[in-house]
Amino acid sequence: MIDQRTLAYINLYGVLGTLENLCELAPEAKSILTNKKPISIGFEVKDGPSATITFKNGKCRMEQGCAKCDVKLPFSSCEKFNGLIDGTVTPIPSKGFLHIGFLLKDFTKLTDLLNKYMRPEPADLEDEDFFRISTTLMMYTISVAIAQIGNNDEIGKFSAQQMVDGEIAFSIKDGPAATVRVKNHRLLAIKKPSENPRAVMEFANIRLARDLFDGNVNAIACIGTGDIVMKGMISMLDNLNRILDRVALYLA
Amino acid sequence: MSMKINTHTKSAELFQRAAKVIPSGLYGHQGPAEGCCIPVSAYPLFSQKAQGTYFWDVDGNKYIDYMCAYGPNVLGYNDPDVDKAVMEQMKIENCVTAPSTKIIEFAELMVDTVASADWAFFAKNGGDTTTAAIMTARAATHRKKIIFVKGYYHGVAPWCQKIDYPGVIPEDVSNNLYVDWNDFEQLERIVAENEGEIAAFISTPYMHGNFVDNVLPAEGYWQKVRKLCTDKGIVLIVDDVRCGFRLDLAGSDHHYGFEADLICFCKALANGWNVSALCGKDWLKSSISGLSYTGSYWMSAVPFAAAIACINKMKEIDLPKFCLEKGTMLCDGLKAAAANNGFHLNVSGEPALFYLMLKDDDSLMLHQEWIAEVVKRGVYMTNHHNHFINASLSDEDIKHTIEVAEDAFKAVRKNHPELG
Repeated sequence: MIDQRTLAYINLYGVLGTLENLCELAPEAKSILTNKKPISIGFEVKDGPSATITFKNGKCRMEQGCAKCDVKLPFSSCEKFNGLIDGTVTPIPSKGFLHIGFLLKDFTKLTDLLNKYMRPEPADLEDEDFFRISTTLMMYTISVAIAQIGNNDEIGKFSAQQMVDGEIAFSIKDGPAATVRVKNHRLLAIKKPSENPRAVMEFANIRLARDLFDGNVNAIACIGTGDIVMKGMISMLDNLNRILDRVALYLA
Repeated sequence: MSMKINTHTKSAELFQRAAKVIPSGLYGHQGPAEGCCIPVSAYPLFSQKAQGTYFWDVDGNKYIDYMCAYGPNVLGYNDPDVDKAVMEQMKIENCVTAPSTKIIEFAELMVDTVASADWAFFAKNGGDTTTAAIMTARAATHRKKIIFVKGYYHGVAPWCQKIDYPGVIPEDVSNNLYVDWNDFEQLERIVAENEGEIAAFISTPYMHGNFVDNVLPAEGYWQKVRKLCTDKGIVLIVDDVRCGFRLDLAGSDHHYGFEADLICFCKALANGWNVSALCGKDWLKSSISGLSYTGSYWMSAVPFAAAIACINKMKEIDLPKFCLEKGTMLCDGLKAAAANNGFHLNVSGEPALFYLMLKDDDSLMLHQEWIAEVVKRGVYMTNHHNHFINASLSDEDIKHTIEVAEDAFKAVRKNHPELG
């Protein structure tokens, strides 16, 4: 069962948070932001997450909280915010009406582009660059979703309770890497490789990672074939996998 | 002379073939994922034959086997006395409409052997008996809640899995309560907070969980637990599936000086033949009699014949004494081999079911590298599960194991110049 509050955390930090990587990786995103004045958009969800996304010099950065932002989008509930992501709710800014143009045009173009990469048409995936960017973005979104489920979802929290402190390296060989840092059973996703992991989960190649993310192959079988390397504190990975199982439920 | 390093080409090929028609290639604890084969290339995945304390993999490599099929191999693979009893029974009957009288013979032997047993109920796997025990406790007490010790494993039925496991729903585990091992005060508090609602306390005789050092019961712990359960009308269930008979032929509760109400046996019961047993006190006989709980092969005579022969032989050779002596000799040798090479190997649990953990890094990666080097040299061990002693293990096997361990430690040190 999906918990709307957990979904809101995933939607804000995991889905919209991937705009950071989209702007870095996708050439179309860079062209949308060319010659644009710096602008920040704050999202404030009642009884849920809040964050500010800043666009500056063609780059995008997300920070927690929205005390300082040019445009503020308040949501009265997690359900309402989730409605924004699935396209059923139109947000009304409480601040920054003068910047509404960026929100309606450029920001919408960026989120549409993100959607194109995150929910791709099969034909688009035949392009090697598109495939690589799409899978990389998916990996970052999943990493953040793991942390949010471990921190917010009732069953995910049970899994996190069984995890010892330390970093889990979550990576694709010769490809993108992320870190899930565990401290006192709270999880933090970092979109960078771990320098001192206590546990390692590495996919043999980006094609395999994609198949796993799409649910086309089984992770346990891949461990047997050596296509997924797991080592270190296996109990951390065991619980990470249980959370990963719930990621599909939230990101479906 | 340098040691032979095993390779596993055929194992890998066969795994690819298996993965096409078997979920996850090999599922469960004997598969490479759950079995923590790290890296998988270091491990044999399929065997071609076994004898005594050895098995040979499909690549022709020979192993001294310290996993003993995860416990069932207690006398040695293909034990002649057990196999003779099996062959004789096979010629007579096995799975028949009216069961063989072997069931009575076996039940009588169990009651005579296990100190706390007034009766015996038979099934196939350890999990069948833990489920039977929980159902019996609930039937007898008309209560819902069960107390578990954190880090437990009592099988794979939904009631004994965890809320975050695939295929388990919250309702399956909603009556489960958890306490820390050896913490009697916590147990007492949870019982008080759930006065009149606890059907059973289920635990292994000592904490032999995976991924952690194993912990023996604190002085007086079991005696206090026994009294609390008696005072509060809680059924005390001992899951002796893993330890049973290797510590004490009268049951591990007897070994630690108390009596369980219900005690579950499986692994060492029949030297690899498929049978498990739940034994219990007289006051629970009526409750288990009323259960609707059975299986197609639960009264097959051949495994009963195997179990009778196995128990008689375990008595004849004093198996617990043998396991203690050989386990201690082996563990002392492994610790010394580690120390000789500047490593700290911690050995925990009972020597008959020793658990190993290298303490030189907290990620366990060094430990996994060492175990992989041991396996590659023909001694089968696992990373994060306790091991098992069997009656076919010789002093020569132990000596060779320690030599392999030394060589493996040297290889790890060579691969890690940063360790100094």
